[in-house]
Amino acid sequence: MQIRRLAALVGAAAVIVTACSTGGGTAAPTGGAGADCTVGVSWNNFQQPRWAAHDQPNIKSTVEAGGGTYIDADANLSNEQQLTDVDTLISKGAKVLILLAQDNKAILPALQKAKDAGIPVIAYDRLIEDSSILYITFDNVLVGKAEAAAILAKVPEGNYVLIKGDPGDPNASTFLPQGWDEAGLKAAVDAGKIKILNGPDGTFTDAWKTEKAQSNMEAIIDKAVADGNKIDAILAENDSTALGVVGALTAKSYGFPPLSGQDGDPANLNNVALGKQYVDVWKNANELGKAAGAAALELCKGTAMASLTLPDGLLDPTVAPTAGLTAKDFTTPDGTVVKSFILQPTPLTAENLQLAVDGGQITKEDLCKGVDPATGPAACK
Amino acid sequence: MTNVADATPVSGQVQPPSRASIRGLIAQTEIDLRLFGMLVALAAILLTFNILSGGTLFQPTNMVTLAVQAAGVAVIATGMVLVIVSRNIDLSVGSLVGLIAMTYALLMTDWMPMLGMGADFPFRWVIALGLGVGLGALVGGLQGYIIAYIGVPSFIVTLGGLLSIRGVVWYLSSGAAVSGLDPNFQLIGGGAQGSIGGTLTWILGLVGCLAIVALLINGRRQRRRFGFPVRPMWAEVLIGVVGCAAVLGVAAFANANLWPEGLANRIATEQNWGPTPEGGWRIPTGFPNPIMLLIGVTLAMTWMANRRRFGRYVYAYGGNPDAAELAGINTRWTILKTYVVMGVLCALAAAIASARLNGATLDVGQSYELYVIAAAVVGGTSFAGGIGTIPGAVLGAFVMQSLAYGLSFMGVNSPGQNVVAGIVLIVAVGFDTFNRRRGS
Repeated sequence: MQIRRLAALVGAAAVIVTACSTGGGTAAPTGGAGADCTVGVSWNNFQQPRWAAHDQPNIKSTVEAGGGTYIDADANLSNEQQLTDVDTLISKGAKVLILLAQDNKAILPALQKAKDAGIPVIAYDRLIEDSSILYITFDNVLVGKAEAAAILAKVPEGNYVLIKGDPGDPNASTFLPQGWDEAGLKAAVDAGKIKILNGPDGTFTDAWKTEKAQSNMEAIIDKAVADGNKIDAILAENDSTALGVVGALTAKSYGFPPLSGQDGDPANLNNVALGKQYVDVWKNANELGKAAGAAALELCKGTAMASLTLPDGLLDPTVAPTAGLTAKDFTTPDGTVVKSFILQPTPLTAENLQLAVDGGQITKEDLCKGVDPATGPAACK
Repeated sequence: MTNVADATPVSGQVQPPSRASIRGLIAQTEIDLRLFGMLVALAAILLTFNILSGGTLFQPTNMVTLAVQAAGVAVIATGMVLVIVSRNIDLSVGSLVGLIAMTYALLMTDWMPMLGMGADFPFRWVIALGLGVGLGALVGGLQGYIIAYIGVPSFIVTLGGLLSIRGVVWYLSSGAAVSGLDPNFQLIGGGAQGSIGGTLTWILGLVGCLAIVALLINGRRQRRRFGFPVRPMWAEVLIGVVGCAAVLGVAAFANANLWPEGLANRIATEQNWGPTPEGGWRIPTGFPNPIMLLIGVTLAMTWMANRRRFGRYVYAYGGNPDAAELAGINTRWTILKTYVVMGVLCALAAAIASARLNGATLDVGQSYELYVIAAAVVGGTSFAGGIGTIPGAVLGAFVMQSLAYGLSFMGVNSPGQNVVAGIVLIVAVGFDTFNRRRGS
């Protein structure tokens, strides 16, 4: 009984919000970026540091600079919680929703609710399979491509180890490896220049866990040593697994063959400065947040998805979408066509670490911890 | 002096109570069949993987890796035995390991330098370790107090701990990975330089061997003194010889693990060892530090469980809580202490984990509670209370880790490893339950 009553209440709230949002839609063109534009953000978790540290403040400041109101909720990795959060955000008066989906299928009921209420939805960093959404993300294929391009340039032939992330994450199983292949990994393997020591598909890491990656890597090193193979390079999909790889290499005193990663985590950037990790592909989350905030403000004004344009000069030119500042079509793995802004990742090596300091990703002190200024990279001089 | 054994010739001929069967002979050696069975299972697992990998698995380096990977879980499992024996559970160990690992990392990277204890401050690692152990005892004691004195079920209290402590870990570092520990602290994690070296390993092997002989002689003398039946002489000699051979064999095996060539050459140049000998430097690593820690913990915990009042109280309470209470045992204080012990062991395991990683991430220790409980249960600890041994739990941890390591050596991915581990857990306990029922 109680649940039904609650559902009715939520329904009523949704109707009211719909009414308001249509009202806002008509009012906006006359009144510039609406002071009544409330942007609701549903985060799937704050356990990964980047969301609270970079994405959230940039969305918030961009929205507030445009005269809008920012509200959000954190679902703590729970699909159910996220559905409740979306209900709450709608009932609090959100006119645009930005969703970082915990699961791209489980979020669909929430999306339906937003659609019913006439609220446009931005799928933030993680795809939602529905033609109505605007998808704002970094190009994960490009991330993989940047990782492999850097490593392949350094080690064009030899024995490779592939360390992948969680087998259930399409980034780990599809997009990043696709990027590796586009950078020429597959061609080099087919040509016999590169041999993959841990099977054709590499090793997956449950939940991207650092400890798991470490114990897997230790077994791989043992196997390589037992078989008389030398590991020349390691492609790790992200930073948490790369950190485990460095742990294993240290424990085995193996030395540090060129190693990739992504995310720009402080511990990994420090490893890049120390020469323990060769490249860290950094998705500048500050820029992603700005793009989402600006797009949300536009949507509030009632701009159609197809004619969405990000303000000129908002984004760093090295990060801005290669396809230009107007929303472009993006075909999802399931074949749905959605509008999108796809930003470019930045590969960081010892040469350009200064970018991470300038972008507020890491302080110079943390970056250069334990680095000898005489022999270290330029950013630590 | 009336015992049967004295009258029996060394060759071990048939004795009145036993049949001339293998079972009878094994019974005379008084070997713990459960432990023996687990050793056989462990050997069978390693042998199978060795064959599957074309003979490359069973090498010193690999076995050292396996042992180091199992050490953290094994250390905590020794304490989990006491907790489960006293009819409780501790689900918070993984989160507590995470909390203490993060504390070590932050202590050595941020907090201590802030207090003026920079990289050159002496014994930084000892201070950090001491604070970690203290924190573990404190958190364990708090949970133990709520369980024992307020009477909230341990499942609930430690489930709350599992959630809330992991949350605290997040707040400590805002979820970021922290790295860069004290170089001395890193040695706790093992590796070539974090091992005790060839000579010490041999000495330890000899000491172990002598200890076995001394224990056997002492045990026989004591039994005689109080008129207990003693083992036949052949069984004593057999146990002594096999035990000694095993200890020395393990020492020899650990010493066959050599320093990696690159490291040896680098250190040789740094420290001016002179010209490289023919065939390169051959420096045995011996036992790695985490294994030394595990050996120490196992001995201390076994001693505490079997010889100290606290340990005996735990088993008495587990066997029959009411009887223990009526017998005048301060049961609440005893239960609280089991959780303090758990906290201390978590601090030691956290030291191994963070030292191995040279830092800490948010997920250090995640799902340890499951591995630890699995190790204790595979090692013969019963959820009905009162039954369980510490060496059994350590062996249980090695059985589980050898499966995980073997599969990962063969290139099987984590989901496959989890499937196998889960099935083995159920089969092991099922087999055990079946045996127990038949035995009773």
